[in-house]
Amino acid sequence: MQNSKVHYWFIAPALLLMFILLILPVIVAATLSMTDYSLGNSSFNWVGTDNYEKLFSRRSYAKMFSASLTYVLIVVPISVALGLGSALLISSLRIGNELYKAIFFLPVMATLLAMAIVWEFALNPIMGVVNDILRSGCDKRLIYGFFTGSWYGADPLQSWYGAACADRFPIWLGDKRYALGTIAFIGIWQGFGFNMVLYLAGLTSVPRELYQAAHMDGADSAWERFKLVTWPMLGPTHVFVITISSIRSFQVFDTVEALTEGGPSKSTYVMVYAMFEKGVRQNLLGIGSAITIVFLAFVLILTLIQVYFVNRRVHY
Amino acid sequence: MAGITLQGVTKAYGSQSVLNDINLDIADGEFLTLVGPSGCGKSTTLRIIAGLETQSTGDVFIDGSIVNETRPSKRDLAMVFQSYALYPHLTVHQNLITPLKLRDLTALERVPLFGHLMPERGKKMSIISSEVQKVAEILKIEPLLDRKPGQLSGGQRQRVALGRAMVRNPAAFLMDEPLSNLDASLRVHMRAELSELHRELKATFIYVTHDQAEALTMSDRIAVMMDGDLLQLGPPDEVYEDPTDIRVAEFIGSPKMNILPAICDEKGSINCLGQKIKVALKDKTKQSLSIGIRPEHLVLQSGAKSSFSGLLTYKENLGSDVFLHLDIGLETQKVVIRTDPQDANSAKIGDKISFGASPNKYLVFDANGKRIDARGRGNS
Repeated sequence: MQNSKVHYWFIAPALLLMFILLILPVIVAATLSMTDYSLGNSSFNWVGTDNYEKLFSRRSYAKMFSASLTYVLIVVPISVALGLGSALLISSLRIGNELYKAIFFLPVMATLLAMAIVWEFALNPIMGVVNDILRSGCDKRLIYGFFTGSWYGADPLQSWYGAACADRFPIWLGDKRYALGTIAFIGIWQGFGFNMVLYLAGLTSVPRELYQAAHMDGADSAWERFKLVTWPMLGPTHVFVITISSIRSFQVFDTVEALTEGGPSKSTYVMVYAMFEKGVRQNLLGIGSAITIVFLAFVLILTLIQVYFVNRRVHY
Repeated sequence: MAGITLQGVTKAYGSQSVLNDINLDIADGEFLTLVGPSGCGKSTTLRIIAGLETQSTGDVFIDGSIVNETRPSKRDLAMVFQSYALYPHLTVHQNLITPLKLRDLTALERVPLFGHLMPERGKKMSIISSEVQKVAEILKIEPLLDRKPGQLSGGQRQRVALGRAMVRNPAAFLMDEPLSNLDASLRVHMRAELSELHRELKATFIYVTHDQAEALTMSDRIAVMMDGDLLQLGPPDEVYEDPTDIRVAEFIGSPKMNILPAICDEKGSINCLGQKIKVALKDKTKQSLSIGIRPEHLVLQSGAKSSFSGLLTYKENLGSDVFLHLDIGLETQKVVIRTDPQDANSAKIGDKISFGASPNKYLVFDANGKRIDARGRGNS
């Protein structure tokens, strides 16, 4: 064994593939991020950390980070909570749970680009079904009263709904106050079914005897049993779901590309879209690569956090 | 401390009936074992008593009051599960205080941080802590209090599970095969410990097992269940020596009771494997019977007239006893004789061995497996 070099030949294909497919591109991107290279140019200049300095100083990139982080901070908690909630409800059903699973999982399987076009129609400020439905509530006293708060004496015009009824409903994708929220909503709609499936799998691994023990110990309400058994036993699932959702939300691209193209006024200028715009559309590979490296760093940090929790905290 | 009564309890899942008319009267402080093969309904019975499942018909009484509609936690029972069902994210100490916190603290006092501001909480928690301390001392698990269940051995988890049941000082303990996840020697050790604990606590124990040895060694009374029926209820000796059903006779006792086919003619004389057996039946009709004899009641006989014989196929040496397995020409049934090592010394595999038993040791069962009153006459 000591003298034979044959073991290198056994691991060589795997190492080679990993190097070519995974590590080399990262090295290339890191190298390019230090240059002003454009595709088609025969040469390039070394610019050092200029690209990174731009990234962390220019306002448009500050908007990029804030858009990406806001998107993640909206989508992750809500899609995780919805995923857990729907998984709990579905697993408590005796009949019909297969149907609900299929319905909630449908957006995950659908092509997001095609769905984005449907959403574009639905959210159209003039003809869209969303604003149609909202408008139709304005002349129904019960609905109007409930949403404006006028049933307890508040001024209807002070409320969002009352003001919109009096004036007009938002241009969801064209107004910088609403665009990112709307993109996030679509992201949640599309993503929570996946979290639900992960949580359903997690729930099946909770031993039934633990629930019975909780019953015997006096955890009478469903909430008590959830706190005592379900929530802690789902620990590994939480970590996995949160990490996966965070990485997926950082990667949001297709809805932005199809619906807002980063606008209005860069309010939806998320990182992957910025990468695409700089690196592909404007052929500024240097700055595009720099964004890629920062993006990779974010994902790496998330993964390291996950590894830490998986190793330390949540496995009993 | 309380007695528990089941009256006409049945359970069916759809058309599948799993319990048929179970009537049980468990006295205060009794150690009652429900024993039977897997799938006989013993665990279901226990869970109906616990309130984890609802019976289809019939009533459950605890301490004289009907509890059909009472929640599991309000029945004042504690249960020890086969898998122990400890909360894996909590330390042993937290596991032990959980039932007490849920019982004694109000919902407001259990709220994290905010609960600590409630005036009564401190006093209640110190009472709870002293309870837990007491139980931990009895079970000798004090050094383990800060560990999590994942860091404990099977036997230690078993004790913690017992402790979690004991802290509430419940009216009765329900145990669902608590020893079956332990290794053999620890299981024998824990049997003795459980019996001792029962004597100390003087509480009602209802114990479910498929192991007839556990049932015989620990119980005040045994309830043998099979196919959803309660076949026999009585003290261990009685169930062992005087089984009322052939299924009970076969289930209780190790090695299994020998069952031999026999025919009774109109005159009442019984013929078993070509031998006339000196047993008198009250009912002298022509019928086919089964004769049951325990392995320890069979004795080796050298060439006596009215004795059975068979070829020795296997010698099982346990040190203190030897089990001789004999082929007596029946396809399905071999006969097992329990004998002293000295007596078995000379026997070799393939030898023809003669054996018999005193007629008062014969148990006679009719074609349906029910016991028939029969008297043996004298020695063979």
